[in-house]
Amino acid sequence: MSENAPVNAYRVEIRGASKHYGALKALNQFDLTIEPGTFTVLLGPSGSGKSTLIRSIAGIERLDSGSIAFGERVVADNGFHMAPEKRDLAMVFQDYALWPHMTAFENVAYALKRRNLDASESTRRVNEALERVGLSSKGPNYPFQLSGGEQQRVALARAIVGRPSLLLFDEPLSNLDADLRERLRVEIATLTREIGATACYITHDQSEAFALADQIGVLRAGELQQIAAPEEIYRSPANRFVAAFTGTSGSFLGVVTEVRGHHVQVALGKRRIECRTSTSLKVGDSVEVLIRPSATSLSHHHSNSLPAIVLDVAYRGRGYEHVVECEFGVISSVFATESTARGSRVEIYIDPHNCLAFPSEKRVEVDLSSSELTPIK
Amino acid sequence: MALDGGLLVRHRVPFSQEPSGLKRLVNRFRITPMAVFWTLITFILVIPILLFLSVAFSPRLMSQGHQWFTLSSFKPVFSGAYGIALLHSLIIGVVAAVGAMIIALSMAWLVIRTNTPARVLWNTTIFALFLAPSYLIALGWQRLFEQRGVLEIMGFSVAPIRNLLYGPVGICMVLMVKGIPFAYLVIANAMRGLGEEFEQAVRVHGGSRFEAFKVMASLLMPSLFSAMAIVFAEAISDFGVASTLSSVGHFSVATYQLYQGINSIPVNFPVSAATSITLLALVILAILAQNKALRGRSFRTLSGRTRPATLTKLSFFGKISTSGYIVVLLIVTLGIPVFGAISASMLQGLGSLLSHYSINFDNYSRVLHSRFLRNPLIYSTEMSLITATLAVGLAAIASKVLTSARNSRSKRFVDFFLLAAVALPGIVFAIGYIFTYNLKFINDLGLHIYGTSFLLALAYTANALPSTSRSLVGNMGQIQESMMDAARVHGSGAAKAWVDVTMPLIARPLLIAWLLTFSGTLLELPVSELLYPPGSPPVAVGIELSLAGFDYGGGTAIEVLSILWALVVVGIAFFLFNRFAPPGWKRLGNLR
Repeated sequence: MSENAPVNAYRVEIRGASKHYGALKALNQFDLTIEPGTFTVLLGPSGSGKSTLIRSIAGIERLDSGSIAFGERVVADNGFHMAPEKRDLAMVFQDYALWPHMTAFENVAYALKRRNLDASESTRRVNEALERVGLSSKGPNYPFQLSGGEQQRVALARAIVGRPSLLLFDEPLSNLDADLRERLRVEIATLTREIGATACYITHDQSEAFALADQIGVLRAGELQQIAAPEEIYRSPANRFVAAFTGTSGSFLGVVTEVRGHHVQVALGKRRIECRTSTSLKVGDSVEVLIRPSATSLSHHHSNSLPAIVLDVAYRGRGYEHVVECEFGVISSVFATESTARGSRVEIYIDPHNCLAFPSEKRVEVDLSSSELTPIK
Repeated sequence: MALDGGLLVRHRVPFSQEPSGLKRLVNRFRITPMAVFWTLITFILVIPILLFLSVAFSPRLMSQGHQWFTLSSFKPVFSGAYGIALLHSLIIGVVAAVGAMIIALSMAWLVIRTNTPARVLWNTTIFALFLAPSYLIALGWQRLFEQRGVLEIMGFSVAPIRNLLYGPVGICMVLMVKGIPFAYLVIANAMRGLGEEFEQAVRVHGGSRFEAFKVMASLLMPSLFSAMAIVFAEAISDFGVASTLSSVGHFSVATYQLYQGINSIPVNFPVSAATSITLLALVILAILAQNKALRGRSFRTLSGRTRPATLTKLSFFGKISTSGYIVVLLIVTLGIPVFGAISASMLQGLGSLLSHYSINFDNYSRVLHSRFLRNPLIYSTEMSLITATLAVGLAAIASKVLTSARNSRSKRFVDFFLLAAVALPGIVFAIGYIFTYNLKFINDLGLHIYGTSFLLALAYTANALPSTSRSLVGNMGQIQESMMDAARVHGSGAAKAWVDVTMPLIARPLLIAWLLTFSGTLLELPVSELLYPPGSPPVAVGIELSLAGFDYGGGTAIEVLSILWALVVVGIAFFLFNRFAPPGWKRLGNLR
């Protein structure tokens, strides 16, 4: 449990949660545990069921079956459904869901009504919450008088002002521009941890997930693919979907030529590269090699490299990101501190630890006995 | 920090607070606002409608014939006089709906989105159009243009206009005029909720003003279709014009045929029910077309991010031409019937064969000093207050059900019955009530409510509920559901979230709906005529009795006073709203 977790931070346990919309299975026998005071991010593409899940936790949606418990308190269990207002939680919505007939101050104060505080204490807390999100002077403004970022800050202040036991975030940054997104992300991370509530955050943006989470759950078609610490998700994705959804800069099809524990050698056309695998592969298996952005660099001296041509280069402040094309496909986000001109011939080093091989459904034909297979440089 | 480390915890939590079976049962059957809503809908809409309509198929079920099942009641509906009347109603309904929608859309745009000077005239007089039932508008025209009417007494020769008035042109015109305020308020409310960002997006991407208008019209589609559906349904089920212009001009419409059927001896209930079912079918077809046109498209535009629209600044010529348009419209829709009613109310001797006429306020004096003439207005006011409050409460729930994102069974059910009720002419509805609440099994249940003010209030409510609900649907459909969700997760129960969030967001439309229902009930004719408690005639019956006794002056004086009273109530309501409603409530729908 997190050290700063207050005694009332919820442990959230979801067991066998299922939800259908007609023929569509939004959640399918879904299990999840969120420890008190931790920040869990649920990551998945559109239609993966993450919105349904967070709305079910909030009580806005009713599960068809399964249960949800906050600590020892059951809030949903096969027909029983506790109303959202009784769950003692707060939520930040994707579209902010500010009430247009209330000022920023009134929007934030609304979430304190359930605490039955006296007026002066309520005013003090609302002002404090607005100050913490940098909007102390915007209290009298109506939502339409605020920018998008300011509106979302009001929504954040509304969520934290009541010091709830559970904070839910429904893609709160998706409507904001990149700079604002980054600043608000930091505010969400710090404010949530300051109040010590359990947090559940959904997003389809993997960079947001890695930046915020104590643990990440990756969802697909209503099922949890993997839940683990961000580092583990990145280093040891449970399957190809998790690997692909958590960031790759390119992928190639090949055939396994050699297996050495968790490492395999894969023939790509007439070349071979070494990579890691978390599944059991054998020689001759067709595989898809997924390359993490951190696995690539421009190099002239390493083994496990491929010849390529620079297609594009983009300045990123701390250095340059290159897009290169080799004979097996395109690799993006190849980082270097120095720029290499478009059209230049380069060698791309691929770090075997961040290069992952998964079984491919597509059959790849490579003549393994061919003497033309080029060994790793 | 404890992490699962990639493994899912699969043990079961010891759920110490799991609810007992009894508690679950109580939860399931507790009295909720929705349960009350469904109970009321069942008793005031579903049962009367179903029992009456069943007579068309099974006359014996209600002791109206010998057959348990027959379709023979429908034969007269599609042949002879009934068939012609039905065709007339259909044509008139379409013309009135399209015409009223086009005029209402143009007026809504002029009033809400431009600085045309005459818009203040429209805003302050739109309610007068609502207040006057179609029979009063028609009577206003009649008093002016009839033989030995006001204009002929003044020395004008108006025979050609009279010939037009007492035929399809006059009927279409009055029904269109009657439909304009319905269409206008639906469209205007939706337009107020539509921020300017959509128009700006068109303009900055190279679109002309006209193209921006087209985009806005597309976003207003739910309200445009709603408006047409309401006007069409109101037009084909209208009884006021049927009882005036239609009967005098011998241009039959379906409701007039129904009226004749009901007044024949013995009463032919099965054919009346069959005609009602046919009218229902016509409206349902219109709604199906509406649903098909809108299927799968989202029109939710009102949220916390909506920015109010700014006014389009018209040129001098623009101001003159738009003001002229509004003034002409006001004269045709309101000016002429009002002039007809006021002049008739002040003219002594109208309706008699006297050759000497005088103008004075004697008729008003008679109304104010006669308990017989005054009491109906007081009684109708009391009934209208009850009806408007009840109907708006139910309509708010119904419109919420109708705009829910899910296409649930309850949504389709409410949709069907509200539309069915819109299509049912008021007089048939009233007969349905007489029918149902005189049935033996209803009396055996202890419901002895026939001939009471209670039944009259229920019938008024049921009669008003469909159109009131439809008028709120456009606004309710614009509210982002996340705003209610936000209120719920931040500690408010469903009812409190409704009061705190939904009600303020639609405060103005709710107020307007309440005023419309109040005004409509105040002067309602067919239900009043058939269901008023003995000794307590509502105001419309009072007017009818006066006119039937050729007291045209007294009848029109009551009419004018009633409309003035309704206008006073409207004025007071808006004054109170503007004076006491929280600023945020008033801001929505206002201009920057």
